[in-house]
Amino acid sequence: MIFLTSIVDRPVQGKSGEPIGRLEDLIVRIGDDRDLPVKYPPITGLVVRDGRRRFFVPGRHLQGINGTVQLSSSTVDLQGFTRRSGEILLRRDVLDHQLIDITGRRIVRVNDVQLTPVEGTYRVVGVDISPQALLRRLGPRAFAPRIVGRQIIDWTDVQYLASAAPVQLKVSYDRLAELHPVDLARIVDALSYRESAEIVAALDEETAAETLEEVSDERVADLLEGMDQERAADILEEMTPGAAADALEDLDSEVAEQLLARMEPEEAADVQVHLEYDEDSVGRIMTTDFVHVPIDSTVGSALAAIRALEEVPDPLLAVYVVAPDDPQTLRGLVRLRTLILADPATPLTEVMDEDVPTVSPDDRAESAARTLAEYNLLAVPVLGESRRFLGIVTVDDALAVLLPEVWQRRGGRTFA
Amino acid sequence: MRKRLWPYLLALGPGLLAASAGNDAGGIATYASAGASYGYGLLWAMVIVTVCVGVVQEMSARMGAVTGKGFSDLVRETFTLRQTALILLTLLVANTGIIVSEFIGVAAAAELFGVSRYAAVPIAAVFVWLLVTRGSYGWVERIFLVLTLAFLAYIGAAFLAKPDWTAVLRGTIHPTLHFDRGYIHLLIALIGTTISPYMQLYVQSSVVEKGVTPEDYRYTRFDVIVGTLSAGIVAAFIIIATAATLHPRGIAVETAADAARALEPVAGEYAGWLFGLGLLGASLLAAGVLPLATTYMLSEALGFERGVSRSWSEAPIFMGILTGLILLGAVVALIPGLPLIKVLVGVYVLNGLLLPVELFAVLRLVNDPELMGPHVNGRIYNILAWTIAVAVSALSLVLIVMTVADWVG
Repeated sequence: MIFLTSIVDRPVQGKSGEPIGRLEDLIVRIGDDRDLPVKYPPITGLVVRDGRRRFFVPGRHLQGINGTVQLSSSTVDLQGFTRRSGEILLRRDVLDHQLIDITGRRIVRVNDVQLTPVEGTYRVVGVDISPQALLRRLGPRAFAPRIVGRQIIDWTDVQYLASAAPVQLKVSYDRLAELHPVDLARIVDALSYRESAEIVAALDEETAAETLEEVSDERVADLLEGMDQERAADILEEMTPGAAADALEDLDSEVAEQLLARMEPEEAADVQVHLEYDEDSVGRIMTTDFVHVPIDSTVGSALAAIRALEEVPDPLLAVYVVAPDDPQTLRGLVRLRTLILADPATPLTEVMDEDVPTVSPDDRAESAARTLAEYNLLAVPVLGESRRFLGIVTVDDALAVLLPEVWQRRGGRTFA
Repeated sequence: MRKRLWPYLLALGPGLLAASAGNDAGGIATYASAGASYGYGLLWAMVIVTVCVGVVQEMSARMGAVTGKGFSDLVRETFTLRQTALILLTLLVANTGIIVSEFIGVAAAAELFGVSRYAAVPIAAVFVWLLVTRGSYGWVERIFLVLTLAFLAYIGAAFLAKPDWTAVLRGTIHPTLHFDRGYIHLLIALIGTTISPYMQLYVQSSVVEKGVTPEDYRYTRFDVIVGTLSAGIVAAFIIIATAATLHPRGIAVETAADAARALEPVAGEYAGWLFGLGLLGASLLAAGVLPLATTYMLSEALGFERGVSRSWSEAPIFMGILTGLILLGAVVALIPGLPLIKVLVGVYVLNGLLLPVELFAVLRLVNDPELMGPHVNGRIYNILAWTIAVAVSALSLVLIVMTVADWVG
């Protein structure tokens, strides 16, 4: 097992031990689309420094590393080194850079890189993120072996950020899909704008939407403004209308209108409704996606109506009972539990709760949360002007408002 | 809230904010001391220093726009680990000094209101710690920012004090150098307070956070220039106001009350209150932001688990550094008999002494073609930037030599 920092700047020797130069860097190819994805990228070349010159030595000439770097031939073709797309340098582009630790769900900084010979080829197998690795590098070389302790993350468990290297790279972001959108959002917030844009670009629209719902408002606005408008509109469609409205409100009004125009009319209209209400109002966090049935239905026909829906609201907590001729006049609600337990032939009027607390769309979101808590409800209906039934606020939506703003994660970063 | 504030923030911009942040407790103390002790004699330096700030801020903003990375990120990724450690240590010491100075600012403001600093400073420390770790700092920050507008009163004060404008002009365009230690001291403090490393860090990371691209960098550059100029003008007027009111009467600025007296032409008997409000706002603003920024800088560069939304057990090093910095700032400010204004100026002398390390790091990064591509410094601009770095280093060296000579005999 070899660590990058213990071999860089070491002498490079030819076949019979003659000095060739010092090891400047190691080249690996990652995310090569011609081959099958390589789990542990092999060293494909060496950058050797001789005085001020830097030249390239193909990886196949690397015979062994043992204090010094031994090459298998002495007649090295001294090509000058230039950077090529698809290639990264371990010291310049990986060491001391940030990676995403997929299993740890966090951003880490690489303090050392672990290499292992596998069938005659040296490969990158992991990164060391321990503080001890920093101490080893800070102190005199002689003391380094006395400092023990490593914290290795396997290379297959890290996500390399293509923006770390100044070359064109095709990096696979498949493993990001294993992360929960909440964790992804935390990572997106903690990374710099450009790195976060790279991450979001790699996500499918649904995951991107779920992630952006959890990301701080400012970052979402910047990300949406920075990406292709068609994709931004697609992501906004996937977001809950309230979250989409929050995001659009933080955008330049011209851009926001262009994005709304590119969205599907139905979703755009939904977002418009939410935009009419202030941020942090009930109208902004309510959902218009709920099940309503006319008051003359039975339990059985209400259940059948739910099953017949193309898309069933999630969470489904209750069905809302409305006037037969006017779905905007709320008469009461039947909780899902009641509906399942009741005999299908029972008329809804017999099982429905008529005395339901309601909130207004102009109320502060916190007051809806308080109503939910006081009455022990999972959802509360929202009644607008002349008691028109507009939507519901679920406990999930209300909870998101009550949690403290996470500005701190970014507020401080602005200065760092 | 955000919708209504947005246009203002857009108009202000990070460049303007960063430059006004330079006019904090230490800044005011330094400018006031300069005016009171040397009259208009240091105005010329203010002009040169403003140009320097502009150049340094511009390079930082450009690095942010081109690389998309913050300063500590770039340092860690470009320099060797030992160089990185040196640069970070320098920034840590400089920022710690400023944190101390902000709590001293709180103490000085409290005393203007007749409140004991032994009450005010601990309350401020707890308040700041709670705000940063628990609550949302956003709107509080804006209140503090508005309070700092009190310092604009110096512009009015300068005019009302009816200074001798020909003398002002002479002081502005005619450089004079005295080789006494107090003068060099103030000169370096002037540089240190105006070109504080944390302002560059701030400009660069806000450019990065906003995702400014090289294509729309020209707007950012405009913002940086406007910010630098306006901060320079406010600073110059503080010098003029104190030079016109305090210098002729031979009052050196020893306490905050002295500096406030220069506001008497505007505010009369309320001068102390006006000054106190501005000082309190400026000090609390920076006292909240700087410990957090410094902690993020270290944690990001060294890769600790970070974020104030994390608990002590999740991010012990992060929370430890953050709490330690606030505690240290407050404790130093509570040392009995501390000559407040002298310490404030002293902190900026320290800042000025450490500045060369940061300046040379910026120059190395901004001229790295692999990072900056075609956006490296132009030749003439580079000569200017290097001249600044060398001149600042030379001044720092002069101060060190003079101090050592003083000790020796």
